Amino acid sequence: MTARSPISGSNLVPYISVIVLFFAAAPLALCCGPLWGLGALGVAVISLLTTRRLQRRLEKTAGTDWLLDEGLVQAQKMAAIGQLSAGVAHEINNPLAIIRQEAQWMQTLLHPDHFQGVEEAKELYDSLREIIQQVDRGKEIVHNLLDFARKRPPVLQMVAVNKLIQDMAALVAKEADQKGIKINLRLAPDLPQIYADAPQLRQVILNLLNNATYAIQRKGEVTVTTRVAGEEALEIIVSDTGPGIAPADLPRIFDPFFTTKPPGQGTGLGLSICHGIITKLGGRITATSEAGQGATFTITLPLQPREG
Amino acid sequence: MNAKILLVDDEERFRTTLGKMLKAQGLEVTALGSGREALTELGEKDYDVVVLDMRMPDLDGIATLTEIKKIAPQIEVILLTGHASLDAAVEAMRLGGYDYLLKPCPVEDLLAKIESAYERKVTREGKSG
Repeated sequence: MTARSPISGSNLVPYISVIVLFFAAAPLALCCGPLWGLGALGVAVISLLTTRRLQRRLEKTAGTDWLLDEGLVQAQKMAAIGQLSAGVAHEINNPLAIIRQEAQWMQTLLHPDHFQGVEEAKELYDSLREIIQQVDRGKEIVHNLLDFARKRPPVLQMVAVNKLIQDMAALVAKEADQKGIKINLRLAPDLPQIYADAPQLRQVILNLLNNATYAIQRKGEVTVTTRVAGEEALEIIVSDTGPGIAPADLPRIFDPFFTTKPPGQGTGLGLSICHGIITKLGGRITATSEAGQGATFTITLPLQPREG
Repeated sequence: MNAKILLVDDEERFRTTLGKMLKAQGLEVTALGSGREALTELGEKDYDVVVLDMRMPDLDGIATLTEIKKIAPQIEVILLTGHASLDAAVEAMRLGGYDYLLKPCPVEDLLAKIESAYERKVTREGKSG
């Protein structure tokens, strides 16, 4: 999308009107006296200044309009993806369920006892195992699509938070390493399992890790800490050594469409989705930061489900 | 476990293969393709556990479950949902459903749920009888 100026065709209008008024001022001064001439000149100057001011204001508004358009396009995109995902989820999950089941049935039928001495049997079992794994991957993708569109209510199950964090850290570690960013994990060994939605929690952790590495850009550290918080909750703390969040931005960072990234690079939805997920799981997410001291995101989650 | 299972899913291939897999585990299984067929069947024969697809044309899982609980409240019902909808599952539990599973799921998970549903039914009948 390119920025457009709504007044491009009328840029010359103020200048032409000033010239006209200037030439009108001379005969006015001659026939009606110098005061009338000065008055006409004054009107010319004031109209020029006012028009310039209006022009600047219009240009500024046009710029914001463009940003607003971008946001609206994004919101429409999200709504479209939401509708599509909800419809597609069932249609995709059913064939996936059939494929998975057929593969599992084949595993039952192809009992190793019947294939003793058959060389290809091992490959056959390997293929079947792979089919089932890929089906589970497909299922995960469908669910992630629904998470993205925020259409899927949480599906609660027992979640080992430390393991989930390790998985997500491993996912971003390679790219972070290339940028000279170290990811430290300080995970409480006695952390109890919690009742939560694993794919959604993964999405939150991944989002925070990606934000942290984006903020650092080059060389720095991201630290993820887990700890028990009282008898009924646990905390996940993600902190980075990046430039921190400006005090003016801090109250708005969980707002939808608020982003400090350049247009086109961030949707401003990541943290708002995280906020939505954590709230729905009955927890809360907060951010603290001091300029130059990095940023810290703290998630508090209940051990037992609590309607958010 | 000598449970009688009624399997209801509009996807023919899904219910046929699942039926075979459950039979291989020693269960007595009948597989049907619609909620209406299931209700007719339940009016004629006794079953222990019904495995019911949530989304079916004509009579969906929730509507079928409601009817089952009217004609045979002692039967335990496990719901299968292709759509990860906790709301619908919670509604099903409220209507007397035993449990729910998200499709696709390993057959072992379904077997475990069938087993505990069957145990609950037997325990209940033991107490009331």
